[in-house]
Amino acid sequence: MADNKTCDRKPAPTLGEALAERGISRRSFLKFASYTASIMALPPAAATAMAEGLAAARRQSVIWLSFQECTGCTESFTRAKAPSIEDLIFDFISLDYHHTLQNASGHAAELAREQAMEENKGEYLVIVDGSVPLKDDGVYSTIAGMTNLQMLRDTVRDAKAVISVGSCAAFGGIPGANPNPTGAVAIDQIITDKPVINLPGCPPIPEVMTGTVAYLLSFAGIPELDALGRPRAFFGEAIHDRCYRRPFYEKGLFAKGFDDEGARQGWCLYEVGCKGPVTYNACATLKWNGGVSFPIQSGHGCLGCSEPGFWDLGGFYKPLSTGKDGVLKYAAGAAVAGAAIGAASAYSVRAKRKKIMGNATQAVATPSGKEDD
Amino acid sequence: MSGATCRGDRPTGMAYSVLAEIGRLLEALAGSGASGAIDLRSLPLTEADRTQLHELLGPGEVSAELEAGGRSTVRETAYPGVWWVTHRGAGDKVASEEIAVCPVPSILAAHPADIAVAARRIRQTLDESIPGQAEAS
Repeated sequence: MADNKTCDRKPAPTLGEALAERGISRRSFLKFASYTASIMALPPAAATAMAEGLAAARRQSVIWLSFQECTGCTESFTRAKAPSIEDLIFDFISLDYHHTLQNASGHAAELAREQAMEENKGEYLVIVDGSVPLKDDGVYSTIAGMTNLQMLRDTVRDAKAVISVGSCAAFGGIPGANPNPTGAVAIDQIITDKPVINLPGCPPIPEVMTGTVAYLLSFAGIPELDALGRPRAFFGEAIHDRCYRRPFYEKGLFAKGFDDEGARQGWCLYEVGCKGPVTYNACATLKWNGGVSFPIQSGHGCLGCSEPGFWDLGGFYKPLSTGKDGVLKYAAGAAVAGAAIGAASAYSVRAKRKKIMGNATQAVATPSGKEDD
Repeated sequence: MSGATCRGDRPTGMAYSVLAEIGRLLEALAGSGASGAIDLRSLPLTEADRTQLHELLGPGEVSAELEAGGRSTVRETAYPGVWWVTHRGAGDKVASEEIAVCPVPSILAAHPADIAVAARRIRQTLDESIPGQAEAS
């Protein structure tokens, strides 16, 4: 950790120089860049520029803060496969503070964080997983005698950018779910003077995290983000758009249960609660466990875990259209049903999200828990 | 999983769409020298589509295999200038796959930085192996 810091002020080697020492050729950079450009839907020609950018970059200091979370995001990140091109990302960063992974503990751990901040002032990256409790002055989660709010503000002060990994950090997630007893909020509701990139998911896809970090390193800039602060490269399309079951949706062929003929035929899971039409993520293309599968391929609907307030959007097994009367009742033809359901569901979900995020914003405004809860 | 298997069994016509795109890129390469590429991983190709595309493109004269952070294969198709490039990662799983339309895929060329390191290594080997070599040069 922190091996790019020297006392004689000799500049740290570039990644290209450092890895060449270990016999890792520029072909490996190009291969990694091709892989990353592919998963980020960048033009294949961008791979060359990305490889050159990475080779010229220096090892990136990263401070990883874990607040109200389950460590699932770290589990996901560290399972970005075995040593191979995908694993190169761990050579590109210097993980200077991560209280689950680091050897140091107690004062030594906090000293490592402070040193990394001092030695990489203005250049280090802060990755946060977990939400921050604000109610009752943030007493519901503390580390080293500091509330999460204090530690976040202190650490981010001289950071280059912040990456919120997981739905808890990005949107409040499960800690922020109704009735949100700790007043949990997302990172970008607290940090408003630095670039904050949201990488939601419960957990996020490992390649989404490594790809974003590689982009920051290669191009020294922030990838294009959507209205929720998510990189469009990974969150630009709904799960539904790239779902291999989509043709069944278009034809109005829906499984009605998990063991009926429709399920056996691989028909669309919309009616058993799939949130794919209103969930933006890359699960259908990147998949999980090294590209083996994703929930819909395994026979279960999408939970919508990369969307704000997914926990409070209704039952996981209720169709999106479930409302007072249900859109399905009025859909005359199966093909028509596809379009009608999509539009109505999107409207309904947007309205629910607006309400949920509105409540969270109110919690920030009144952090001592004096809001009407 | 059954859905994936059923759908993967039959071609959807995507292979011909990809072939048309390859044709446009190849015309651009022939006309202006502009290289291009198609990322196959981002397309919803079934296994049958992939097989069909392989058959449509056919084998060419050049085939290369690389070991750089995992195995990679670069195969020219029956259409000169059209290459099927597959990069594999952990467990030999496909990490990225693209159709490159160019004279030679850049992954095959040695990078100038690696060439410089290689020259230093040979010099070092000679210096260590042949007494007086360093002084003579």
